[in-house]
Amino acid sequence: MRGYRLKILLLCLCLTALVTSEVYAFDFDAFKKQLEDNSESVTESLKKVDQLRGKVSTADEIEIGAKLTSGLLGAAPLVANAELQRYVNDVGSWVAAQSSRKELPWRFGVIQSQGVNAFAAPGGYIVVTLGLYQLLANEAQLATVLAHEIAHVVRKHHLEALQKTMKRDLWTDLTVEMVGDKQDRENMHKLINSGLQLYTTGLDRRYEFEADLYAVVLAARAGYDPYAFLDVLTTIDSINPDSSELAVFMNTHPPTSERLETLARKMDGRLDSYARGVDNAARFRSIAAKQ
Amino acid sequence: MYFFLRIFLLFFLLGTAAQADQQGIVVRQATVYDDANSAARQIGKIPAGVTVSIFERRGGWQEIFSAERSMIGWVRIYQVRASSNPTVTEQKEDSRGFLSGLAAFSRKASGFFTQDSGATSSGTATIGVRGLSENEINSAQADFEELARMKKYASNRTRLTSFVAVGGLKASEVAHIPQDNK
Repeated sequence: MRGYRLKILLLCLCLTALVTSEVYAFDFDAFKKQLEDNSESVTESLKKVDQLRGKVSTADEIEIGAKLTSGLLGAAPLVANAELQRYVNDVGSWVAAQSSRKELPWRFGVIQSQGVNAFAAPGGYIVVTLGLYQLLANEAQLATVLAHEIAHVVRKHHLEALQKTMKRDLWTDLTVEMVGDKQDRENMHKLINSGLQLYTTGLDRRYEFEADLYAVVLAARAGYDPYAFLDVLTTIDSINPDSSELAVFMNTHPPTSERLETLARKMDGRLDSYARGVDNAARFRSIAAKQ
Repeated sequence: MYFFLRIFLLFFLLGTAAQADQQGIVVRQATVYDDANSAARQIGKIPAGVTVSIFERRGGWQEIFSAERSMIGWVRIYQVRASSNPTVTEQKEDSRGFLSGLAAFSRKASGFFTQDSGATSSGTATIGVRGLSENEINSAQADFEELARMKKYASNRTRLTSFVAVGGLKASEVAHIPQDNK
């Protein structure tokens, strides 16, 4: 009798243990699933947040930049001088190598336009007009101009501006799938159009001041006289602001005199020891003379 | 002796001020130093609005000469602003072509991909481009061949190594300047 009771007790205990373990097993699976679901939604949310903040992948950024640049080149082709184009690429690549995004496939070009301007596109595409190039006196000045544009790319100013000008949903769709169906392509085209319009409407003023400050540091890091950028701005400042060559430049940048003073004040005493950096005027002239 | 040399130089410059490299204007009251550093001797001050001749630039310093104040020396570069440069203004006389170039650029920029997708709305067409008709915008084309050409000129490690060596360039570490400093 005692043995029978003991068996019943043991059975009850086992059943309880079984049921309890099943309950726990069920809870664990649900919990795990819930975790996975949450993790997925968190990743997805983070991705969207990143996209909304302009954090597209580098590959997508390069793709956007290539499209914008082909638009610029459609408007004004490259100057037909291979030596000049290679030279500008060497100067620009050396300066870009001093930045935090040296791994980008940096490409530089001089375009056939008498306007005084330079343009940067996401992903490392930079073009300078022949009109601006011809105003320059030496390699250090060229380096600082390219450095200003490199700064826009490194700081993703155009991407950020594009994100602001476009509807959030559209931007998210675009970055999720860069090449997709017709709707995606149309969205992509809208993005490109908005991007190109930035070249005629301009970036936020604070981006320009930020790029100026970044540019002189990059030039100094590359071994050039950073003050060469002040010479460039002084030259531009001496051109009549109403002249046609400066039309786009003046519309898209803060007043040159204001940039000069702001930059010179911030540089004052900080970069003096780099003022003896090279300007390579002879090399610059030897290339320019062959145009 | 140095004093007389300086006086002589001053009179010499007074006579040749008109032939100075460039004219400028003092935009902020400037302390004039006898060398391009703030530890140098102070010669005097020039108030804002005074016209000066601009000579050499050395780092963040500009050598100037004021006929009005009979003063020659160095001021900080942001205290003086160059006025119109004749060699630059001459160039723009024969560059009216830029307007059409600009028009073409804006037209093509704005209508980019229009033919392909029809995505350009009339709103898009009028936002960034000034004074251009929609017809002009519709004729735009992106140039992918030119983009391919641009990529061909890209630098590479071998070229860059030679470029840096020949140019006597040396990289160094320089900290970024904070945006909010004075």
